[in-house]
Amino acid sequence: MAKEREILNSVVPLDFTYNYRVGIPLEKYILGLAEGKLLGVACPSCKKVVTPPRSICGICNEKLDEWVEVGPEGTVENWTIGHVRLEKGEAKDNDEPVLIGMIKLDGATSLMPGLIEGMRPEELAAGARVRAVFKAEPEGSVRDLDHFEPA
Amino acid sequence: MASAQTRYASDIGMPRERMLFETVKGFYDSLGITRHDIGTFIFASNDFQDGRTISNVFADSPVGAYMKDETKVEADGSFAYLYGVMRILSGHYDTALIIAYGLGGSQFRPYLVMDYTMDPSFTRQVGIMNELVAAALQARAYMMKYGLTEEELAAVAAKGLRNAAANPVQLRGQANATASDVLKSRPLYSPLHEFHCYPPTDGCCVMLLASAKRARELTRKPIWVAGIGHDLDTYYLGEKDLAVSKSAQRAAAAAYKMAGLSDPAAEIGVAEISAPFAQQELILQEALGLFPEGSGSQVMGGGLSEIAGKLPVNPSGGALGAHAFCASGLQRIADAANQLRGEAGACQVKESKLAVAHGQDGFCAQQNMVTVLSS
Repeated sequence: MAKEREILNSVVPLDFTYNYRVGIPLEKYILGLAEGKLLGVACPSCKKVVTPPRSICGICNEKLDEWVEVGPEGTVENWTIGHVRLEKGEAKDNDEPVLIGMIKLDGATSLMPGLIEGMRPEELAAGARVRAVFKAEPEGSVRDLDHFEPA
Repeated sequence: MASAQTRYASDIGMPRERMLFETVKGFYDSLGITRHDIGTFIFASNDFQDGRTISNVFADSPVGAYMKDETKVEADGSFAYLYGVMRILSGHYDTALIIAYGLGGSQFRPYLVMDYTMDPSFTRQVGIMNELVAAALQARAYMMKYGLTEEELAAVAAKGLRNAAANPVQLRGQANATASDVLKSRPLYSPLHEFHCYPPTDGCCVMLLASAKRARELTRKPIWVAGIGHDLDTYYLGEKDLAVSKSAQRAAAAAYKMAGLSDPAAEIGVAEISAPFAQQELILQEALGLFPEGSGSQVMGGGLSEIAGKLPVNPSGGALGAHAFCASGLQRIADAANQLRGEAGACQVKESKLAVAHGQDGFCAQQNMVTVLSS
């Protein structure tokens, strides 16, 4: 006889993958990371500069096609300290707090989320200057921008 | 309009179909109608949470929608309400039944649904952002811009817990909750603790909308839709001021214009706002013009949004008491209507003729629906 819980619940895993085309803007961004460059795009209409780059400015309904190099330094505009992490939707306690910043890269108008290392939680504040740290051995992924450190 | 709700739970302990059957059938019985009195059925549910494409397929039978006009909104129940109102206004239907449900407590991990709303090629690959991080950044944005303290933010959550304790359908409540209780709950992403955030919830909410003629036949205490508005902000969190909600401002302006309100803060007697995170109550009550911009400290300090306050906000306890994904926004509208009818029990505010209710979807309330109700 199966255990009560096994009778009461059918546990149904879904195991499959999706394939998404990243598109030209993100492809260029990923190739730039391998060279230690951060690329953004500017809107010809509202002049905003966003990174990661994408193809459309939703507010202006225009193509974003003016390429701009941004960073690699920037300013922390907002932040949170992660006492937990979400693993497949489940909150698990972190052994050490994780520092997450919303960073305005020099030359960009938008904020980008990034992990901040080499800084104590109490040092993290709006206005802190940080610098992008790239993976030594690029993998051809958006994660080639590894983290930020104090500038 | 009339409505019914389950008693929300972290694990409702029954299949979705039985939950829907018991709630909807009980609702029909309470109104003295049958499924044949329903002109159009509108579901609000989430395929990803249900793990089924077209998640309403097996939900049709328990609510009585076979051989009927039935559609689904893949969004919060407040958007199904918006669609239902439009169907009634079209003149083709005398009645619309809105059925909104979610099983984020027991069936599936709640935060995963929102994780999978994120852009798959960048944000999901980087792996930093999630629903709680976004909410934490939004809370910090408001605190930095308007000088709200951690205690004042916790006071919003404590108010929610106290009100929820007085509401028998809510899942989580605490009669004498204080800011200190909130700050002692599990720290998640600063400045947010567990009690600042919605509890993963199972449950459903159903609502009947009817034309004026049919409403008068069905009840002696009809509640009227006086105005409705809907607006969508940008997805990109790094491109907007998270301390304000422009799309909620626009949705509210449209709803107030339709309702003919010139001074909503003075005319409206009670508000039910979808705020699954504490800071959203402040941001959205300001976007809805109920309190001045940046007034969170004054509102909490003066108890202005308490049940006995100048303009009660979320006397039901709101989404901090229960947040069944998709049902949550419809629950707010149902609770606002119950207030106008004087049927809100221990959560009842002083007599009022006008209420505002709000529903939302997305990170940091990207999409907003505002409706004005009158008795």
